Parts: sequence; structure tokens; C-alpha cells
Amino acid sequence: MSDGHLFNNISLVGRGGTNPGQLRVYSGGVLWKKQGGGKSVEVDKSDVLGLAWTKVPRGNQLGVRTKDGLLYKFTGFRDQDIASLITVFQTTYGIQPVEKQLSVSGKNWGEVDLDGNTLTFLVASKQAFEVSLADVAQTQLQGKNDVMLEFHVDDTTGANEKDSLMEISFHIPNSNTQFVGDENRP
Amino acid sequence: GTNRNSLKTSSELIAYKSVNDLPPPREMMIQVDQKNEAVLVPIYGVMVPFHVSMVKTVSSQQDTNRNCYVRIIFNVPGTPFNPHDANTIKNQGAIFLKELSFRSKDPRHISEVVQQIKALRKSVVARESERAERAT
Repeated sequence: MSDGHLFNNISLVGRGGTNPGQLRVYSGGVLWKKQGGGKSVEVDKSDVLGLAWTKVPRGNQLGVRTKDGLLYKFTGFRDQDIASLITVFQTTYGIQPVEKQLSVSGKNWGEVDLDGNTLTFLVASKQAFEVSLADVAQTQLQGKNDVMLEFHVDDTTGANEKDSLMEISFHIPNSNTQFVGDENRP
Repeated sequence: GTNRNSLKTSSELIAYKSVNDLPPPREMMIQVDQKNEAVLVPIYGVMVPFHVSMVKTVSSQQDTNRNCYVRIIFNVPGTPFNPHDANTIKNQGAIFLKELSFRSKDPRHISEVVQQIKALRKSVVARESERAERAT
């Protein structure tokens, strides 16, 4: 495993915030190791379904989507890392990473996109935020138009996050046609 | 008023134009950006901004285990006295984020944030309604 690119100071992004570590992108796959050992994440090249990168404040994020419907997100890439990441993925994986733009307008209306285990809230076709449905403890229909997602309370992962997301609710007006008849499973 | 907002109506208030305008990420905790009139909340490792004019109410609560909860409710269509009806009409078919709820380990920080959001919201709403009045 001497080949590939090593990126330092790359954090794994999860529901509880970020965990600092190191990411290696090599011909066999993607391997992230937590700083000081412990947790690691490995995605075999053959399991990679798609790759996306997003410019975030003071850095860049890489999303690795697997064939099982999981999405791993890594953050901390410098602007100059993105060019080499794209090249590595293109040449050794034959996958072209797509750019997903972040919405920063601060609006609270848009679209909800579901892909595998990931729910994305899009404002003007840009990504405002993404959450993993694997972390949702339960969903509730409130009234006719509101859907609430309740997240698992997990005290072990929220190590570096002071404020942890507990609930999100969406209002789906009657004029919305995307989720007709399926409002309680958005 | 900054130049940024002077040409816009209240329904077009935006927090940031570009990702680079966001404040540098500090801790993963709720922040208020007074200058850009934005509330930033941590969602899966990203600070997500919302313009304060989208906020309808904000409240906090504390349980017996010294856990603190903060609930931010946003304007959605169909509620009485909604100042954003122009948006509702323009955005038929959109889905609205209605509520975000967070648990915090720091009650002092939460009460500070709640006060800041309330004060900022009040001043922005007052400014915008004054502007709307002048325009008519």
C-alpha cells in the first residue's frame, strides 16, 4: 500500500461533528484512519459508487458514496488538494468526481433529495445540508403537512461538537407534488 | 443598512453571496453573525447559515440532567401573519425547513445565542417593515 496519495489533517464528518485523521487514496480504495488510532474507515475501490466534492468555508469536503447506499464525508482538503484528488480518482478509479455547490443564501425553502441513505436539502439547486437517514431514530407526520425527523441520541460520538442536532422538521405544502401519498417517508 | 441590501426587497434577503464570505469555522456550535444577519448551525460537520429574517421563533429549555435544548422555528407558508407570503407564492412546490432542534452541553452559550437571535431578528424585522412602509 505504498502507492497512492496521503492527505493529512482530514476529518471524518459525522452526525456528532468531525474526527481528525489521515486519508489515503490508493489504487485499492480509500482508507481513513483516526488520529492516534482507533476508528478507521475503508472503502474498497469496487464499492465506490460516486464521488463528489464541495467547497466549504476555509476548505473542501469529499463525499464518497458506496454501493450499499452509505455516504462517507471527509473534510479539510485545501484548494490545491482538490486537483490532485480529481486526478487520482480519474486515473486509478475511472470515476469523475462531481462538484456539489453549497448554498449559503440562508433561505429555508427548496427541495428535498433522497439518495440511498442520504437526505439532501437543496436551496436553488445548491446543497444547503445533508443528513444520514441511518441516524434517524424515527419519523413523524405532524398534521397534514409536516414531517419530523428525530435523530438518535448518541453520547459517544459528539466528542467535539457542543451543539448536536436532535430534530429537523420539514413543511411540505399541498402544492408540492414530489411526495404525494408518501409524506411520512420523505 | 449596507450596500448589499439596499437594492433588495425584504423577500430577497440573503445571508451570504459566496462560501468565502462565511466566518471561519470555529467550534461546532451555533453562532450568530451580526454583520451578515445570519444564524449558523452545525449540521453534519458543516456550519449551515440561515438568514435571521427566516426565523420565526427561537426558544430554549433545560432538563434535569443539565442538558440544554434550543429550538429554532422558521417561517413557513400557511401560518397566520406570515411576513413571507410573497415567497410562498413565488415558490409553489417548494419544501420548507420548519424547525431545527439542538441539544447543547453549554446552557450559558445557548441563552446567549437565543438572546442574540431574538435581538437581531427584531431589529431586522423593524428595519424591513419600515422600508416596506416607506416604499408604499
